[in-house]
Amino acid sequence: METLSQIQKIKEPKKLSQRIKWLRDYYFSGVSRKWNNEFFPWTTGAPWDIQYDEITYYIVPETYPFLETFKSSIKQASRKVDIPHDFYSLSLPERKAWFLKETMVNYVPQELLPGDLIAGGRFNMMTSMCWTEQETKEVNQLIYGKKGSRAKMKWFHDHGYGNSGATSGHIIPGYEKALNIGWKGIHGEIKNFYEALTAEEKESSRGAQLRAMMTASTLPRELAQKYSTLCIRKAASENERIRKRELLQMAENLKKVPWEPAETFWEAVQALWLTHMLVMSDENYPGPGVSFGRIDQYLFPYWQKSLSEGMDREFGKEILKTFWIHSNTAYDALIRVGANQGITAGYGQLITLSGMGFDMKDATNDLTYAMLEVIDEMSPILEPKPNVRLHRNSPEKLLDKLVEMISGSQGAPFLLNFDERSMAGLMREARIGNYESLINESNLYDYAPVGCLENTMCGNDRSGTVDNNLNLLKAVELALKGGKDLNVFVDPITGRKEKIKQDGPKTGDTTKFKTWEEFKNAYVQQTKYIIEKCVDLYEVSESIRAKYIPTPYLSCLIKGCAEKGIDVTGGGAEIGFTTIEAVTYATTVDSLLAIKYLVFDKKVATMKELLMALKSNWKGFEILQTRAKNRAPKYGRDDDEADKMGQFVMELWTSETWKHKTTSTHRRFRPGMLSWNYWVGDGYVLAASADGRAKGQFLSNAICPSNGTDVKGPTSNTNSVGKVLGGRTEKGDWKDFVNLLPNGASHTITFNPSFLKDGEHKEKFKAFLKGYLENGGTALQINILDPDMLIEAQKHPRNFRHLLVRVTGYNAYFTSIGRELQDEIIARISHEKI
Amino acid sequence: MTEKNTIYGRLLEIQRMSTEDGPGIRTTVFLKGCYLSCIWCHNPESISFKPQLQWLKSNCISCRSCVSVCPNQALSFIEDEIIINRIFCKADGECTEECPSGALELMGKDVSVDEVVKEVLKDKSFFEKSGGGVTLSGGEPIMQHEFALTFFKKIKENGIHTALDTCGLGIPAAYEKILPYTDLILYDIKEIDPEKHKQFTGISNEKVLENLKLISDWMNINHSPKELWIRTPIIPDATDTDENLLGIGKFIYENELHPTRWELCAFNNLCNDKYLRLGIPWLFKKHDLLESEKMEHFLKTAKNSGVDKQIVLSTGPVKFLKNKPNEPHENETTFQC
Repeated sequence: METLSQIQKIKEPKKLSQRIKWLRDYYFSGVSRKWNNEFFPWTTGAPWDIQYDEITYYIVPETYPFLETFKSSIKQASRKVDIPHDFYSLSLPERKAWFLKETMVNYVPQELLPGDLIAGGRFNMMTSMCWTEQETKEVNQLIYGKKGSRAKMKWFHDHGYGNSGATSGHIIPGYEKALNIGWKGIHGEIKNFYEALTAEEKESSRGAQLRAMMTASTLPRELAQKYSTLCIRKAASENERIRKRELLQMAENLKKVPWEPAETFWEAVQALWLTHMLVMSDENYPGPGVSFGRIDQYLFPYWQKSLSEGMDREFGKEILKTFWIHSNTAYDALIRVGANQGITAGYGQLITLSGMGFDMKDATNDLTYAMLEVIDEMSPILEPKPNVRLHRNSPEKLLDKLVEMISGSQGAPFLLNFDERSMAGLMREARIGNYESLINESNLYDYAPVGCLENTMCGNDRSGTVDNNLNLLKAVELALKGGKDLNVFVDPITGRKEKIKQDGPKTGDTTKFKTWEEFKNAYVQQTKYIIEKCVDLYEVSESIRAKYIPTPYLSCLIKGCAEKGIDVTGGGAEIGFTTIEAVTYATTVDSLLAIKYLVFDKKVATMKELLMALKSNWKGFEILQTRAKNRAPKYGRDDDEADKMGQFVMELWTSETWKHKTTSTHRRFRPGMLSWNYWVGDGYVLAASADGRAKGQFLSNAICPSNGTDVKGPTSNTNSVGKVLGGRTEKGDWKDFVNLLPNGASHTITFNPSFLKDGEHKEKFKAFLKGYLENGGTALQINILDPDMLIEAQKHPRNFRHLLVRVTGYNAYFTSIGRELQDEIIARISHEKI
Repeated sequence: MTEKNTIYGRLLEIQRMSTEDGPGIRTTVFLKGCYLSCIWCHNPESISFKPQLQWLKSNCISCRSCVSVCPNQALSFIEDEIIINRIFCKADGECTEECPSGALELMGKDVSVDEVVKEVLKDKSFFEKSGGGVTLSGGEPIMQHEFALTFFKKIKENGIHTALDTCGLGIPAAYEKILPYTDLILYDIKEIDPEKHKQFTGISNEKVLENLKLISDWMNINHSPKELWIRTPIIPDATDTDENLLGIGKFIYENELHPTRWELCAFNNLCNDKYLRLGIPWLFKKHDLLESEKMEHFLKTAKNSGVDKQIVLSTGPVKFLKNKPNEPHENETTFQC
């Protein structure tokens, strides 16, 4: 009985029509569904043909043991697409564009779910890489060779540096433009660029790329025609009058969009969905942060027009709700894998709502509210993931609605992005990256986050926001041992021991160090080294992708690609950074603070003793470990002295990061902090750390203070975060705001439900958000949780399938995450309660 | 007054993002030492002015580092427990310095006004956005009125809202000095019956009520502090009677005190641990939280006592017994204040 009452606490969807309720329930019925959007692999039939692009999974260490299996099983399961006899004489981008179009239009079935208001069902696919035999040989060498990308990437991860790989998605395609001028307009532009080429240029890779893009840009038209025909067929056999009319209208919509510019709201949403889902088809990857950008802004004119022409507001929301369902079918890719119907929470088709408009005015509109209502009524549901932008002039009405939604869910069903701090970061990257003509005061407000909270510009910017995930802590380990690993690496599969080598620079025997400064210098050298190491590793996969893995369809939607005749994977986007996301930030800062405190300031241990303690994973050194944990200063408590160490670490690693560029694509590295779930997994890889953490315990998450150290409450936590980002100074990056992390930084604060218990406290919470804007970071996720409920959910996972929690930068179903992480979240909340 | 001599206060704790001690988001500064010793006191560590050692079993790793380092032989380790001999203990902190886990903690340390001001100013943005500020509480802050006065002056210089949380037992001259720098008075009337008041708190309430009238007069004349909130703890088998609430209500309206709030603060048992740590037995150990129905009843009683109904409200955790539909906190789930 207790269980039942607990379940009542979980947020329930509300106000759903029969149609949406059915579609939502159908979606959550998972594997038992007759229809799903599972991955389908397709081959050219050539014996050397492969489909699986393992590079895009290099940032997912959980998949490393399965890379080989995936590759061969996908190949085996793939179905043949008939190719023209001269297929392999075409250029690679043309082959890719042709193959995608042929498969999508003539092989993948077109289907429509009952009651659905937008078309576009199956899009998860693994298409042939379309390589010739020779290209396949080359790539095989580059990937699987002794010094190939796979071996290098594995070494990097095994030794605790982190991971890196050229990854799909994480981009905001030019959807706004696609709606405004239609694919016809896009096609026309590409054609113009092509026709302006000289005969010689046409023969070059530039000409080939533009021809590929011309082919790709007709795909949406032909697919829409197929769906239109399907709607007409369905309408013919439909007896219900209203539904029949809907189907006929859908057929009309699809006859027109996305080829022609959209005019009505329904057309716009239909065009947006088809355009979007094909990006995921093109990249052979479902929902990896392919984000919508400022959707409430660019859809607003259509919304307004349709409302003025008599569209019922609720019907407009109904269209959006079907769009929401479609977005979730991305998870069907691996529907039969794992316990939770393939719902891993790892995707992130992010929508951005509200935020600053022109002249620092607020841009919130009726569609912002309509979308928030949709989220509220559909929740709990994962995709598309919302991020709401706040700024000093955000309206009270919006804040009230947000706080109301936060108090009604287990976690805020959205992320919050803070414009002032975020924009400061983008101004910084414009200055350092020499993009001032593309990012400046006049258009800065039109930025949007991708994936979770990674700030970019829209429609012309690929900044590789999850491509490099670097454990800053590795530099502390190397500094302690003068450039060597602390522990011997043992291969978990073969059991083979690796000899400890001199990997980093020789920075000296720390047991002979007399001063903290000596150690600090060693740490600086090792930090430079790990960043260089990461840059080198990235180049390996980036150069393979640039040469062998074009995405001509996506390139049509990214400004710069047609202009330059370069694919987006080749660095065609107008703005092109790649981001190093620093992981283990607080663990690093706290470890440095502990070394300084224990060895140099208080002298309660010698360096030798500390090294022995770390090597033995603190066994036999429990008193020292306890002291490191509890008595050494920590980042995150608004303690200026401790936070100074945080500033030092931040300034060091960000300034080193800016120094590098990719060789193959000339993209500069930029810093950010989003640690996805690496802080959990890599806790088992990295040696014990001086902050008292044992090997196997979690590392710190993104820019958050280490677990359990946040003892001074949300305001002090906030202030520390703002401080290490650069705080506020007279000469800021934008106004007086400084932001050393243009990508943004993931920050989670968990509140006890009582914090929002009544109107007065909700007002206080609103004020906290306004204070956060002044003092805090770029993005905040709010957890409102009750530990008892989580413990119950652990015991009876089936009753809690829809319980959402925010982990880091993303919502996850509590029951779908590992036991350790569950325990961790419970511990965090219980701690908060005391 | 020149500030040549640094003024120190005996601090118990600074709690940031406090949402229960006045309007908005606040930083509450708890000073140590109180005139009263209420039998239910939720902050027993605040009663004595002397620094006190406390031991948190859950944090202790049984390393015994503290035992050997104590110069007064006040500590012993017996069957998994650190026993503090409070007669020997001089609370001079050798053991807390040595303790690796922080399980041993010294409650009460002397800090300068400037240190506290610096800490408090860190949340200025949050005060400004929320209409919050600083609350000086205790213990009884008026016991350290020199510190309180200097502190409030400096806080006001920074344009921050100040609230004084007092049990009403200071000397009138001390109140008169500090009131010009106070925006809000949080004033406790715990029990209207003087005999019972003495029984519960150790001191009769005559002076408390007298001082409140004086403060109210002062407010009428000087229009500062701008606001008065009355607070009454609802303690089971003590202050939880209709007579008490009706009596306090009568006192409020008969003396035209015009508080903007009268808060009924529900008893909570979270301080049970605090008593354990300090080695003090607690009479209310076995008491559960008040049931929500009971709290509703007292709220009604207070509202019908003759005061303006609008000003009465309840705070603190209560217990829900029956399942109510659409009620998020149910089935004996409690929520905190």
